[in-house]
Amino acid sequence: MKQQKKLNSEQQQEQIAEHKVEQREGHEFASVEAVLRFDAAQTKVPSGVAERLQKSSKDLPPPPRSWWERLFKR
Amino acid sequence: MNEPLADRECPDQPQADWTPSEFADLYAEHSKAIFYLALRFLGDPQKAEDATHDVFLKAFRKMDQFRGEASWRTWLYRIAINHCRNLQQSWNERHMFSNADEAVWENAVAQSDSPFRVLETKELGERIQKALDALPGEYRLLLLLIADEQLSYEEVGTLTEQSGDAVRGKLHRARKAFAVLFKKTE
Repeated sequence: MKQQKKLNSEQQQEQIAEHKVEQREGHEFASVEAVLRFDAAQTKVPSGVAERLQKSSKDLPPPPRSWWERLFKR
Repeated sequence: MNEPLADRECPDQPQADWTPSEFADLYAEHSKAIFYLALRFLGDPQKAEDATHDVFLKAFRKMDQFRGEASWRTWLYRIAINHCRNLQQSWNERHMFSNADEAVWENAVAQSDSPFRVLETKELGERIQKALDALPGEYRLLLLLIADEQLSYEEVGTLTEQSGDAVRGKLHRARKAFAVLFKKTE
């Protein structure tokens, strides 16, 4: 009996979650910029980029600071 | 670490070279913006991934050429735009901008005035890409840059080699064109 109650509770939680997803999926954007900002926020940089970059730059000498940085960062 | 490196407090003992962690901070702060620009400008996730890698590697090699006249974000965007344009030049332009296209967008004012309604956000990226692909490259770039809240009209103008006023004028047409093309993807 307790197990049945637990299942019902889990089903309810799933339904609530599904409803929230549906609510999230209906969007209205006021401008092109808003659409693009939303899209940009959803976009993730693939982790492979950082890994490749680390490998590519490993054998390179550390980049020197520009003259102005050395001048003004003293 | 979210503040631009150029705006940081002066350290007591400045180092002559960049440290790996400083470069990692720069990557963490700006890689998303650069990747997004490359993704939507090139329209290909794999090419965008390669471009992001190449842009940051170029930046790593040219760090000493950054003079602080622009923000790091603007400097990185400049490298990214040049890189993506070079990539595109080696491909055939898929869409040519013509006056006929503009006339179609100009006559579609009523359609473009309503807000953008999207039922399924999972398809949003695909629809945006289709609309951007159908735009002239200049409009596509302007919209992508102006959507970055860190950039002013003047900075977008500098990046696209025109005045802030010219950017405002073209943006009006670019927004209209995007709206019409976006609705066609429904």
